[in-house]
Order: sequence, then structure tokens, then C-alpha cells
Amino acid sequence: MDELLGEFIAETRETLEPLASEIVAWEIAPDDRARLDSIFRFVHTVKGSCGFLDLPRLERLSHAAEGALAEVREGTRRPDKKLVTGVLLIIDRIGELVEALAAGKIFPDGGDEALILALEPGDEAEPVTIEAAAAPPLPAAGPRAPARSIRLPVELLDRMMAGVSDMVLARNELSRRLRERAGDGNVDTAFERLSTCVAEMREAITRTRMQRIDGLFSALPRMVRDLSSELDKQVVLVVDGGDVELDREMIEMIRDPLTHIVRNAIDHGIEMPADRQRAAKPAAGTLRVDARQSGNQILIEVADDGRGIDDERLVHKAISAGIVTRERAAAMTRAERLELIFAAGLSTADAVTAISGRGVGMDVVRANVERIGGTVEIDTQIGRGCRLTLRVPMTLTIIPALTFSVGDELFAIPRGAIDEIVRASGGSVVVERVGSAPVARIRGERIPVVELGKLLGVATHVDPARAILVVVRASSGERYALSVDSVQDHEELVVKPAAPAIMATGVYAGTTLPDNGRPMLLINPAGVAHVAGVKAPDAAIPAKSDVAEVEAETVPTLLFRACDGATRAIRLGLVERIEDVAAQAVANVGGRLRLSHDGRILPLFGCTAVVPDKYDRVRVLLLGDGSSEVAYAIGEVIDIHDLSPDCLPNAEPGPIAGVMLVGDEQVELVDCFWLFAQAGGSNRSTERPLCLFDSDDPWMRDVLRPIVEQAGYRVGYSGDAGDPDAAVMILSADRPTPELRSTAPVIRLRAAADEGHGAAGSIYRYDRRGLIAALAAAQGGR
Amino acid sequence: MDMLKLIARVADQLIAISADQVESVVEIDAITPVPLAAPHIAGLAALRSRVLTIIDTYAALELGRSPREGLLQAIVVTIDHHLYGLLVDDVVDVAVIAGEPEPLHAGLARGWTHAALGIVEHDGQALLQLDPARIVAGPIPGQILSAA
Repeated sequence: MDELLGEFIAETRETLEPLASEIVAWEIAPDDRARLDSIFRFVHTVKGSCGFLDLPRLERLSHAAEGALAEVREGTRRPDKKLVTGVLLIIDRIGELVEALAAGKIFPDGGDEALILALEPGDEAEPVTIEAAAAPPLPAAGPRAPARSIRLPVELLDRMMAGVSDMVLARNELSRRLRERAGDGNVDTAFERLSTCVAEMREAITRTRMQRIDGLFSALPRMVRDLSSELDKQVVLVVDGGDVELDREMIEMIRDPLTHIVRNAIDHGIEMPADRQRAAKPAAGTLRVDARQSGNQILIEVADDGRGIDDERLVHKAISAGIVTRERAAAMTRAERLELIFAAGLSTADAVTAISGRGVGMDVVRANVERIGGTVEIDTQIGRGCRLTLRVPMTLTIIPALTFSVGDELFAIPRGAIDEIVRASGGSVVVERVGSAPVARIRGERIPVVELGKLLGVATHVDPARAILVVVRASSGERYALSVDSVQDHEELVVKPAAPAIMATGVYAGTTLPDNGRPMLLINPAGVAHVAGVKAPDAAIPAKSDVAEVEAETVPTLLFRACDGATRAIRLGLVERIEDVAAQAVANVGGRLRLSHDGRILPLFGCTAVVPDKYDRVRVLLLGDGSSEVAYAIGEVIDIHDLSPDCLPNAEPGPIAGVMLVGDEQVELVDCFWLFAQAGGSNRSTERPLCLFDSDDPWMRDVLRPIVEQAGYRVGYSGDAGDPDAAVMILSADRPTPELRSTAPVIRLRAAADEGHGAAGSIYRYDRRGLIAALAAAQGGR
Repeated sequence: MDMLKLIARVADQLIAISADQVESVVEIDAITPVPLAAPHIAGLAALRSRVLTIIDTYAALELGRSPREGLLQAIVVTIDHHLYGLLVDDVVDVAVIAGEPEPLHAGLARGWTHAALGIVEHDGQALLQLDPARIVAGPIPGQILSAA
């Protein structure tokens, strides 16, 4: 509301200024229609805004002026001197009231009635007495509060953004040139300073494009009200997280998908009050719309407590609509069945209503969200409700992507579409040829292979048997392995739409300009599937139904060659990026190696002395846990694997959490929690609240404990003496709540990333942010 | 009306393009190819922080393929908010040419006819004035000559 009020004040001030001259001109020539119109427009706008913002005084004044002016416009009244004066006085009063509003002062009551009366048609001779009553001076009418905001055309911001991008490229070019010639200390220092300024500037300008998501949410109450009364349903809307900021363009892009999801939730999700009462639920349904930031993504959740989605019925519909075969349906997991809601041509509504089910289905919602680099997840329980989670990048233009090479060319693919990356010659992968088409068998699942080089007509440099397979899940549901020469890097790319002639090929999603200054094409996974003729979702047929194997939980893990030559592993979730930094940026200061990077100083782990490559650079992993960042020097990246979360823990806490088996090789797993703890210097107080763990769960003991301790808790186990003092308890979602002597809140963690299997309200156990937030909430609630 | 014109050479033919449609003239050294795109899409190049779609003007005019050796000159135009670089052999001049382009009567090759707005006269020479938007759109589908 404050924001809207601020906008109203800014807008009114802005229109008042030019209006001043209009008013004077109108006074001289009261018959001037154009002037009359612009004054009428002003009071009309003020009146409209006031009604909305609940400013009754301003509303009454503007309404009176509007009425009088309307009569003049209709020709039923002549603009005599009295009327002109009256209108002018009212406009002055509106200005005064707005200024008082802006300064946060109360404008003295009274006088308004006299102003309004003065507008009444009457004897021309008596206008003078109004003056005294009309303008009681503001007590200590201080200087006008200076405007702290201005309005700018978005185009100008775009131009600034483009300018800064140019600057970054020029900086990179300069940096390359400087590296080529032997370093001059002074020049380097100056250059570093410039780099910092450019980075700050870039961030500031990026922020100018950000807008609070409030703007999007403010339309919801009205929509929910209208819809629910139309459908005779009762819905309580709970909105949270309106202060989350995202790119204004992005807000526009998610407006339609969000609207659609909310409509669906009310129309199909929430039941009629009578039905709800029969199901022992409150007559009014609850619709929660929630936004929060997670890394560089924004999560928007729309959850209802309605009837949920019956996946059995969904499957029947899908079979009768010919979307899946009966055999395929029988082999589908629950999550896969729910995914069907995103299939084109499937509506859960039995009858097409005016609200939803008008042909714009969830497939369109998903396609729209994926076009901006986001994802949609669904999660539901029959009878309990349904939750849709939109994950969208914070800005429209920056998409996390994987770059890879095919022949001499580099391409990028949105990271969100990638399931995993494997080597065609890897242990668990076999590539066979069925007819002319290659098919990969990865851990028992057959996945069609699209040889990108062949598809694009680009000569590859790598024998297909040694290629890298990027397993991709396209928005349209196809799953296939993209065969590429080599994987280059994970990068955040600024993606722009490509020219129509390029989009017409269907296989590209846009263009991007990476730091090296050579344009690159972003691959559209759905387009490639279409052009290559990969079909969904029957194409991925489990070769054997090895349920245990398919369901084995894995964590994406990055394998790398460490500086000392050993093979180590690190959980990918913490790796923010891989970068080559200048060796000079690393220095041994304050008793440890530190890296100066993008204007920050990060502790550097992974080596005791820097071993630069021939270009005098060091490859580092930048790790982040959301609040702090550390760097880890490596030799080279080997691969990304999905590995079991288990490892054989080391006895002593240290840089290595333990040893795990990758293929036949023993690999050390880097203990990121230890690294962050070392970097942060955690505050250890004896008064730390107690967090209880399930003593039977080794994962909690070994993996979770450091996180919880870092969040400021001490850890105990259920059954320990300290039970009653516990501030919070963490349990696995599939375990019953034990008998507790305390009333501590319980956080439930589930092993699967997708909610389901009766785990509503739980947190995915690697959702660190979710967990920390829950811990913080538990602590706040005490 | 738009009398200032950019004069360039394409396949030994002098052409004119209305200067108010031209953003700049740049030299291109590296082109990122765009596999599967129409033949007249030569690829992508960077213009500072922006990406240019490079048009093979020869192919667009159904004259074969533009030379691709060394530094290439391209005329930068914006069409429908997208930035294009039209490859030309070289840019000759910018000159004021008065008068509207006159309609063609000579039997031009199809590619030229499609892109030409008409003939303008400069220094006693007849120049074809081309419409950049039609060059960018490329040959009319189904009319591409097999070999020029």
C-alpha cells in the first residue's frame, strides 16, 4: 500500500506542475475546451486513485470538482468566474493535501465543505468570503519534502543496461590485453579498481530493473473474490513474500501463468462449502500464494487445501486421450503420472467452465514458464490439496546454462533442462544402435540419443563412442540424450531473442554473448526433440523394471582432479561456478591463501600454494552456501555424476568429509560445511538452542549435523536427557512422531526432491535454504 | 524525403540504401555459423554487447554466396527490433540523391527484383536502391535458384 501511495503522490505532483499553467490559461479563457479537458482529467484521475487508496477527503474534493466540470463539459453550465475560482481553490487544496501526505503530516481539518459549496452555481457577486475559510494555513508549513523518486522510461534503463554490458565486455578485452603483456603493478591496481566499479555499476543497474512482486500479487485478492463469488465458493487468500524482487519484465511474463494457476486452484481445487464440510474441512478453502528467493531463483508457490489431483483419473484421461499407452501408464511412477497434467490436450475439468478449462491448459503454463528459463512442479495429495511451485530466474535475461562444444562450435543449453551428464563410454552407460538410431542405456533406462553434430550438420571431432551424453528433459516431456563433443562450463548467460530467421529453425532458444565476445546459440531442448523426431513420453521405456535402482537417491556431484592430483568429489549444489582466475589474484595473507575476486576476498582452499597453468591462471570452484562464499582451487573438472548421498565418513572433521566409491575408484568427498565453518568463524556460545535429531538416522548425524550446528544450534538426539529443553526437532518424513516431553516444533525432512508419498509440509533434505528458514522460524517462535 | 543514401558494392553492382535505415557500417572478422538456418543467414557476430545476425547478401539476392575471406564489411540495420549486418563487398560512399527511386523496366534477375525499390541516379550512374527488410527476409520461398 505504501508503494501505491508513493506512486500516487509522485503522479499527482507530476501532473500538478504542468497543470499550474493550464489553470492560469483556463482562467483567462474559460471556454478553452482543451484546457478544460486536461483539468477534468486530472481531478478525475485523483478521484479514481483516492477511492482505491481510501483517502476520503481528497476523494470528496475531487468528486465535487469533477461534477462541476462535467456540467461545463456537457454545456449545462457556463464556466463563470466563481466556478473557475472554486475549481482552482480545490486543485490548490488537493496539492496541499498531497504535500501533507508526502511529508507524513496531518492537514488541519475543515474548510473542505466551504470549498465544495463554492462550486455550487449561484450569485456571482459573493465569492470572496470563501478565501478565509478555504485556506487555513498549514501550521509551520515547512519546505516541501523533496521528491525521492523519479519516473524513467524502461527503454532508458535498457539502454543503460546495454551500456554497462558493453563496458563489461570492454573490461574483459582490456583484461585479456593486460594479461598478455607483463604486469605493471600500477596499471593492474587501477584496472582492479575499474573492475570493481564496473561490477558495482552493473549490479546497481540490474537492481533498477527489479520490482517487488507485490505488483503482481495485488491483483489477486480481487480476482479471488470475484471468482469465488461467481462459483459460490468460499476462499481465504493468504499472500506472503510480496517484498521479493524480480525483474519487471519477468513479472509480466509470469502474470498469465500465475493467474491461470490461481484460477485452476479455485475452480478445480477448492470444493463447494458443503462438500468441504462433508470432508470435515472448514467451509472456506485456503489459497496460499507465497514468494521467496532461493539463490538466483524466485520460488512462487500456489497451494490450496482443496480436493487435490487424482493421479489415477489423470492416467485414465491420458490413456483415453491417446497421450500415453496403457503399458506405459502402468510403468509410470506417481510423479510421472502427475507430470501428465502438463501434457498438451489434457484437462482435469470434467466440464468446460467459464473460469478455466478453456483450452489454455497447464501445458501452456509450463511452456510459458520454461520459455523464461523457469520450471513448474506439481505436488498433490488427494483430499488434502495441491501445490504448484514456479521456479523462475530472478531476471529474464540471465539463464544458468551449460556450454558445450560440437566440432568447432560452442552451444549453450539451459541448465534447468539437464537431468544428468554422462560419458558415452562410462561404466553404467551403453550406447547401442537400433536400426540407424543410437539409443543409450543408462542405469537400465533406454534413452534415445540425438547426435547434435549430425542434426546440425556440424563435423564433430570426437568419436561417438567417446562423446558426452547430456541427458535432457524437454518442456514437452521428451527425454533424450544429446551427444556432444565436450562439456565446457557452467555459465550464467545473458540471453536475447534471436532473429526470426534463426528462430524459424526451431532448434534455438536465443543468442548470447559470452565474455569471449563471440556470439553463441542457446539450444531449445524441445525444438531439438521435435526436429530430431524424439517422441514423448513413451520414448523413454524402462528396459527392466528395476524399481530399487531407479528409486535410489542420488545427489549431483562434481568430480575433479585436485591440485595435488587426487580425484575428489564435491556436491554440485554448492558449486556456484567454475572460473579461471589470474594467479596474481591469489595471495597468502592473514595466515591463509585468499583470492581476490570481483571485488571480494574469498578464502581459498584446495592447495597450499598456487600452481598456475601456462596462461598464469588458476581454475577455482566458487562455492556458496547462500551467505558466505569460498573458493576451492582445482586442477581440472572431470565430470558430473549422480552419486549416492552416502559416504564413509572420516573420523575427524576436516577438509575431507569422507570417502565414496565412484565406479571402482575411491574418491574423497570435500566437506563443504567444514570449509564454510573455517571461513566464517562461527560464533560458539553455550547458550545455543538445542535441536533434537532422530538418533536412528545416520544421515542426520553425519550430513545434517554440521549445517544445523552452523545455524546456531547444538545437536542432541531423541531419547537424550535434554529432551524438554529442545527448541526444535528434526525428523525424517517417513517416521512417526515419537513420544516427546517437549512441545518443540518438528521439522520433517524427506528424501525425495518431490513431495508426495504422504510427506506434505516436509522439506527436501538437501533444500538447505528451506531447512535454515524452518530452523529460523522455529527459533523465532519460541 | 530520405535523400541521403549509402552506396555500396555487391557482386560488382552499385547499390543504394536509404541512410536513415542504416545504423552504422562495421567490419566483421568472425562469424558464428547458425546450422540449419536459411542459406542467406551467414551467422552471428558481435557488435559491442549486441548480437548481429549477419545476412549473406549474395544469397539473399540469389547470386550465390558472399565472399567470406578476411575482414568483411557489413551494413548494420535494425528491422523489427533485431539487428542485422548485411555483408557487402565494400561501402563506396554516402551521398545525397534527390528524387524517388524510379520503377524498373529492365528485366532484372529475380533476386534483384525482389529486393529492389527502383533505380536512382547518382553521378550519371544508375544505382539500384534496395530495401534492407527484403534482403533480410531472403529469397521468396520456393523461388531459390539451384545454382546462380
